[in-house]
Amino acid sequence: MSGDRTSESGPLAYADWRDRLEDGELVGLECRSCGHVTATPKRACIDCGDRILDTCSLPTTGTVHSETTITVPPVGFEGPYQVGVIDLGETKLMGRIRGDEGVEIGASVEFADTVELDGMPAPVFEPVE
Amino acid sequence: MTRATIVGGGMTSFGPHDQPLEELFADAAFASMDDAGIAGDEIDAFYLGNALGGQTESDTHLAPKLATHIGLQGIPCQRFEDACATSSNAFKHAVQAVESGVHDVALVGGVERCTPETGLGTGEMTRIFAGASHRQYEQPTGLTFPGVFALLTKRHMHEYGTTEEQLAEVAVKNHHHGQFNPKAHFGRDTDVEAVLETPIIADPFHLMDCCPFSDGASAVLVVSDDLADSFTGEPVSVTGVGHRTDAVPLADKASLPETRAARDAAAEAYEQAGITADDVDVAEVHDCFTGAEVLAIEALGLFEDGTGGRAAADGETYIDGEMPVNPSGGLKAKGHPIGATGTAQLVELTEQLRGDAADRQVDDARTAVAHNLGGDAATTVVTVLEARA
Repeated sequence: MSGDRTSESGPLAYADWRDRLEDGELVGLECRSCGHVTATPKRACIDCGDRILDTCSLPTTGTVHSETTITVPPVGFEGPYQVGVIDLGETKLMGRIRGDEGVEIGASVEFADTVELDGMPAPVFEPVE
Repeated sequence: MTRATIVGGGMTSFGPHDQPLEELFADAAFASMDDAGIAGDEIDAFYLGNALGGQTESDTHLAPKLATHIGLQGIPCQRFEDACATSSNAFKHAVQAVESGVHDVALVGGVERCTPETGLGTGEMTRIFAGASHRQYEQPTGLTFPGVFALLTKRHMHEYGTTEEQLAEVAVKNHHHGQFNPKAHFGRDTDVEAVLETPIIADPFHLMDCCPFSDGASAVLVVSDDLADSFTGEPVSVTGVGHRTDAVPLADKASLPETRAARDAAAEAYEQAGITADDVDVAEVHDCFTGAEVLAIEALGLFEDGTGGRAAADGETYIDGEMPVNPSGGLKAKGHPIGATGTAQLVELTEQLRGDAADRQVDDARTAVAHNLGGDAATTVVTVLEARA
């Protein structure tokens, strides 16, 4: 673990990301060298490869970058449900989108909940009125 | 410059097959060996593509198993897994091996079973396919592979105005082509209304926008250029193989509709071959979903960005169009037995370049491109084949 890291607990690992997601927090990583931000843990920057990454808090509201409603799900899921890539400003994150009508690209959404598969949570977003 | 030569190709029909993988593969392997005029004892190495056998049929370590079944036991054998780009990656390694002189004659092929003949239903196969999405950051959302390509395609629709009707035109075109391919899983004329009436799988994709679950096998014989005329099979030159990857999970991709790996792989393959997109006479592209063909033909430079959606509707990508795409019927109609798809594209293009494609022959086909994509477009292999002067 690097001593000069400004993050609270060294490199953001999946277990930290998972626990904080379940606590209602979106956290990602910002590359100290080039500033690239990702919304899910990596051990090196996907843009420049540098290994010094700082855990950063991500906004919990964003806009729908792309979305689809899945009608034929994998075994273990019950459809239909909407999945989207959410633009959080500096980075993007995949999640479920919950709502009666379904939302379209460009809609504003807010991180509201999680769903779980085999102990692994995924973020759930809801439309912002 | 010629990197290697294909001297034979063969494939099974694609569709349901109630056979063990080794029997299915033997049919394709022997067809390719007979086409090439190559006997088993002339083959130096075996490169196999199989993506899912461990999950679907509890069948792993397949390369020596299949080699044993077809009389090739003892030679170096290896299996590749790169989702749907599995056997084109096996092919890439065989090309490198014969080019560098490590081997003289390599058998390359793929085999897969995905239909209910495996005992697995739609939900189970959908889960297995979803294994190619990110385990922690995508699978828990319930993402499926129709869903993956829906996310890529809807962004293309948003940015360029591509419509569901235009996507349906891709299915109409590939089913039209499929009727001329006796090995195709499907193929009969349909129309846009019929496609749009089928149930939604993941919007914007209807059932008829999606390739089927198929069983099948395919194989080619790859030899060094100096051995190209040593066998009875009419040789076709491999002049470029580009292979690139992109970020997973897909939220980390810089752009969803550009399919960056395909663009980079195409640039690499074209540079090796000394061609540009303008030189391509015929293309086999990875149309696992109708939208994927639109993204592919733009990424290959065959159509300008934003215009790929209109190509099928305008008739340009039909066999007799300006830029024929998927004369085999593509994955959409020919079928998509995952690990067999990459080499099946090469089998089709070999026939096209030999002028042996019968009712689906593209006129004056001299330069051909195969685009084989894996996972959420995170792997793409682009191959340039050329008729010998």
